[in-house]
Order: sequence, then C-alpha cells, then structure tokens
Amino acid sequence: MSLQLKFKVTQQRLLWWSLSAIAVIASVIFMVVSQQQIQTPLRPSIDFVGGTKIQMALDCTVEGNCDEPISTAEVQAILTAQNIGKSSVQVLGQDKTNISIRTPKLELEERAALQAALNEGIGVFDPATLQIDDVGPTIGRELFIQGMLALIVSFFGIIAYLSIRFKFDYAIIAIAALFHDALITAGIFSLLGLVIGLEVDSLFLVALLTIIGFSVNDTVVIYDRIRENLDSEQAGTISDIVDLSVQQTLGRSINTTTTTLLPLLAIFLFGGETLKFFALALIIGFLLGSYSSIFLASTLLAWWRGRNGNLPTVTSESVDNIDAAQ
Amino acid sequence: MQKQRLVIVAILFLVAIAVTILVTLPPQLGLDLRGGAQLTIQVQPAENGQTVTEDDTTAVKRVIENRINGLGVAEAITQLVGSDRILVQLPGVTNPDQAERVLGGTAQLEFRPLRPGTEGEFTAQFQTLRQLEVQVALLRDDGNAEENQAEINQLEDLITAANEKILTFFDPVNLTGENVTNAQPAPLQSGNGWQVFINFDEAGGDIFAEITKELAGTGRSVGIFLDDALISAPTVGAEYATTGISNNVTISGSFDFDGANDLAIQIKGGSLPFPVEVVENRTVGASLGQDSIRRSIYAGLAGLFLVLIFVAVYYRLPGVIADCALVIYTIFTLACYSLIGVTLTLPGIAGFILSIGMAVDANVLIFERTREEIYKGNTLYRSVESGFFNAFSSILDSNVTTLIACGALFFLGSGLVKGFALTLAIGVAVSMFTAVTCSRTLMLLTVLGLPSVRQNPSLFAPNAPK
Repeated sequence: MSLQLKFKVTQQRLLWWSLSAIAVIASVIFMVVSQQQIQTPLRPSIDFVGGTKIQMALDCTVEGNCDEPISTAEVQAILTAQNIGKSSVQVLGQDKTNISIRTPKLELEERAALQAALNEGIGVFDPATLQIDDVGPTIGRELFIQGMLALIVSFFGIIAYLSIRFKFDYAIIAIAALFHDALITAGIFSLLGLVIGLEVDSLFLVALLTIIGFSVNDTVVIYDRIRENLDSEQAGTISDIVDLSVQQTLGRSINTTTTTLLPLLAIFLFGGETLKFFALALIIGFLLGSYSSIFLASTLLAWWRGRNGNLPTVTSESVDNIDAAQ
Repeated sequence: MQKQRLVIVAILFLVAIAVTILVTLPPQLGLDLRGGAQLTIQVQPAENGQTVTEDDTTAVKRVIENRINGLGVAEAITQLVGSDRILVQLPGVTNPDQAERVLGGTAQLEFRPLRPGTEGEFTAQFQTLRQLEVQVALLRDDGNAEENQAEINQLEDLITAANEKILTFFDPVNLTGENVTNAQPAPLQSGNGWQVFINFDEAGGDIFAEITKELAGTGRSVGIFLDDALISAPTVGAEYATTGISNNVTISGSFDFDGANDLAIQIKGGSLPFPVEVVENRTVGASLGQDSIRRSIYAGLAGLFLVLIFVAVYYRLPGVIADCALVIYTIFTLACYSLIGVTLTLPGIAGFILSIGMAVDANVLIFERTREEIYKGNTLYRSVESGFFNAFSSILDSNVTTLIACGALFFLGSGLVKGFALTLAIGVAVSMFTAVTCSRTLMLLTVLGLPSVRQNPSLFAPNAPK
C-alpha cells in the first residue's frame, strides 16, 4: 500500500465510543429538558400538532408603509384584541417588515378578521407575499404517524437487506450507528428548539430519513471492503482487517461527504427560507453519518466479531495465513 | 473499442431525446414554487350518521370542480386522497380566503320551474350561457391556459352574470337536493344514447308532480341549479299535463355516456347530505414562490458547479470524464422528471441536488478503486476495468439502501415528503445507469483511443508507478 499514514481506527475505539456516548447522552438531556419545558422532546411545528401560521410582508411600494419596523408588542396587542393572545409572533426580514404569526387553528372568518385587523393596525400588507399554513389537528397527527411509520419501515427494510447481503450482526451494528446519527441530529434540533425556538416540521422527518439512507450508504461501503478483505488472502485479526478496510475507504468517505456537503452548504447559505434548516439537518446528519461509519460501525464490528472469536467466511487458506501471521 | 463506440452513439442518442423532452415538456413546478393555494377538503359523515364512501366523495369532487370553474382558476387540479378527502390545487390564487369560502360550503342543488312569460328571455340567456361555457372549455383545453387566463376570467364573469340573470326567471318551490334519493345514467331503450334517472323521496315526488303538471306541453323548463348555477333545463312533454311526473324521472337529451354520467354525478353531489370542511390550507404568495425558486436554483447551480470543480481538480482526467457523466446525468434526470410527470417542489429540488451528490459518490468509488489498481502496477486498461468491477457491489448496496428509505417515504408519506422521495429515487436510479454506462465508456474510450493517455498513468493517479 502506498498510503503512508497508518490510521488504525480500532486502537482508540474507547475514545470514539466515549465521544459518541457523550453526544448521545447530551441529546437525551436536551430532549428531557425540552419535554419538561414544552411537553415535547422537540418543538413541533403546526405540521404535526395543527394550527394556523400566517406570514406576510408589508407592501413597501405604498408610501410611508415601511418607514418603521413592525413592533412585536403592537402585533401582540392586535392578537389579544382578537382573543388569540396565546399566539407567537416573530418579526422577520432585514427591515423588520415581515411578520410570522402562529396561532391555534383559526376558522376562515377568524383568519380573515385577523388579516383585516393587521392591515388596519400595522400597515398595508402585500397579498403576493402572503403565506398561509393552516393544518387541522387530525391531519397533523396523521402526518406525524405516517412519518414515524416510514421511519420504522425503512429501519426494518434496511436490516432485512443488510442481513441478506451481509450478516445479521452487520445489520444490527449498522442500525445502531444510524440510530446514533438520527438521535444526535434530533438532539441538536431539540437544543435549537429550546434556544432559538426552532420548530421541526415534516421536512425534518424527511431529513432524518435521508440521513439514515446516507449513513447506511457509508457504512455499507466499509462493510463491503471488510467482506472483500476477509474473503481475500488478507492476513491478520479482525481488528487489522477493519483498520485496513477503513484506511482503504477513507479517501472515498471524505470526498463523498465533501461533494454532498457542497450543494447542501450552498442551500443553507443562499437557498430559500424554507430549506435552510432542512439543509442544516442534512449537513449535521451527513457529518455524523460519515463519523459513525468510520469510527463506530467499524470499531463495533471489530469488537463484536473479535469477542466472539469467529472470523466469518473462514477458508482453510486464510486460517493458515492467520497462523502464519501469529 | 467497437463496442464502446456503439455505446457512445447510444448515449448521444439518449441525450438528444432527453434534450428534446426537456424543450417540449418543461418540468412542472409545485405550488410552493409558483405560488398558489393547496386545500385539503374532507367530506364529513352526515348528521344522520351515514358513512362516506368513495362514490360519495367522487360526487362531492364533481361539485367542487364546478365551484373551481366558478373561481376562474387556470390549471386547477383536484384529486381524491383516500376515501374521504379531496386535494385541490389552485395555482396563482391571490385570494385564498375567497377560495376557501367558495369550496368549503355544502352543495346546494335546487329544482325550479320557469316563470310564465320569461321563455324568450330565458332561451336567449341560456344560449349565451352555453356558448360562453363552450368558449371557456376550448380555452382551458388549449394547453396555454395560463396565457388565456385573462380571457377565461372575463368569460367566467360573464357566465356568473348569465347564471344570476337566469336564476331570476325561475321560482323557488323548495325542491332541493335533500329530496333526491338517487341519480344515475342509464342507456336509452333504443340503445342509441344515454339518459339520466332521478328519484325523489315522497315529499319531493309530490312537488315535482305539481311542477311538471303545470309545465307539461308549455315548452317551459325545469331548471336544475347547483350552487345557483344552471346545470340542466329539461322541458316536460304534453302527455304529463294531467298526472305530472312524481318519480322515476328521466332526463333525455342528446347525451352520450359521459354527458349523462356527468349530469348524474352533479345531481348526486348536490343531493349528498355530507358537509365538507377545509382541513388543510397551504397558500404561498406568488412573489414568495418566485423568490424561493430563484434562490434555490442559484444555490443548486452553485453547488453543482463546486462539485464539478472539486471532482476535476482532485481526480484529474477521470474527474473531467466524471464531470461529463454528471452533466449527462443532470440532463437525463430532469428529462425523467418531465416524462414521469414529477411536480418539482422545494424539497423535490433538494432531493435532486442530493442525488447529484450521490451520483458523484458512484464515480468517486470507481476512481478510488481504479487508483488502487494503478498503484498495484496494473495497466491502465485493466485498472479501469477492475475499478468498475470492484466498485460495483458497493454502489449497488449503497443505492439499494437509499432506495429502501425512498420507498418507505414514498408509500407512507404524503405531499412534500412524497415529492422528495420520488426525485431522490429517480436520481439514484439514473446515477447507477450513468455511472456504469457513461463514465465507464468514456474512460475506456480515452484510455484505448488516445495513446498519449495510455502511456501516462499519472493523469489518473498522482505518483503512479511508471
């Protein structure tokens, strides 16, 4: 091998495992704190709990309309007058001329009344910037259940496929690794929910599923190499083989992660508001996915197979080789 | 060599087809990108506890389509979701409140007799109305509905005015959809054409008998109104002057099956005791949609550009070849979207951008393997061939697992989630195809065809053994 760097991932496995353990525990703590403060582990958007969200911007072509930034207190006063004082108000945009209001589900008349009151009290809003998301509670619950179902089904689908292509223990370790990725991503979004009030919507569920696909993808490439090295006349313990396989696939892992992250970074920095946090979730998840395939899935596999003492697909030739190597 | 040339010709042929598809059939944009309202309407169980069947929902859907025509929205889409929901997409709607109000009410079906003395006026208005309806239908089917939008709106206003006018010629007699027990198309006894059967309940039958007795032989019509718009105006034959028609009503005209079925569904929809409720409304302002389109397309292009540069710099000659394959990949994928009729939404665009990343991955896997083979001292040709061979099982496994996740999202998710899953899945499938055909063929052609390349493995791998 021409690779000069002898990178042995299994040697510092306790370090990697502790790092991951700390991240997982921290994620669980964020979710528990969130559970206590807002009764859910992650701050759900109206996609999952139902409600009405209205976003609009002042029409700045009307003279004097955009001179002053919108004040939250004023909007709040209008909401209180409409008997929906418990809503949350955000003022957005560079000039503070956009508002986003989230309320419990409003009937059509209530919503129209609110819009009229805002136009009266704050200024003329441009109808072309109006964004309404109005979700009934049943629909919200359905979206959530559908999403969770999709998550569980793809878990089992992946376990089944990997068990067929590799072995059952490979599949379980791959699943453990991707569970780690999904959990920590959720933990970070739980923290963002607590700190900046970020809500998770159905796009976040999409992101989680994509992360799972990507994470397994990465793990599979390393597994594939491990299987190949086990099958060939490669000598050494399972840890040696895992180290070698990780080393052989390291360049590819880094490059693939880089090329996938480039467009995501572009979306995160320059894309529309809707996709910003979707891209962020994917960036976090993909980084974790690469990390877990290299540092967790492979080291766990080496430990598990080593502990059980049986090398898979042992041929008489490779036994001889191992003996010789010892 | 001969084989590679053939493959290249085939690929170029496919590219030409794909470009043609893209030019003639540009990808459809979702409402979140072009602006508009998307409403989910749920048919509620009746007050008497009657459950909603799919047939009922279909009838309600027909009513909703009538109402949308009244709104004058071009390219509106209605579709059944499950057994009791109707998804309505209204591109470019500027007044979502009005749309929700118009679509969310229970249908009003009414039978009214024409007042004596208004026959002449009614006939004139009725003809105008039919003409207007034909004109609108032509414009809508024109394929350029968006360009014709202004004209359609104008005509719709005229239709509404004509309907309002017509309504004043008819007297209300309190015979409504509640009195209708059934409506269905049936073939004419002569076998040549179709008619519509209507059955009333007892009270309704009595009122209808009264009306028909009075109208029989006069040439005056029974107006059938759905949401105050005239849907049919049959006359009554003179033979019913003494008895009237109390039940087993047939409306015959020059109906074909579609015409009869349509009228029956409209009548049935108006007679359904089911209230409807708008359970979801997602509206994106037109300017907001355009803004996110522009920004996402810029971001996507920037991302793609960065990837192309990175691949070319890091992998040198094969990188440049991979870049060619990636461009071909992009064209193929977009053509597939058009062909399959994928509606591009924001998450869909994200799925596409992501699939570019995965397409690069296949190439990266192959090049890493090719490099290894070169370092082992193999010839370029052998290295390329075994690079592809060795990388294939990784590419297959990793793509299949992604497809499994896509499948779960597609079949269990809805709306945005479905769109994302579909675009990603198409991307993954196309990327497998282009990786094994385009990249491979282009590589082999360069290696075999250009002697200067063949003797210079460092174009493929730095520090390659000479």
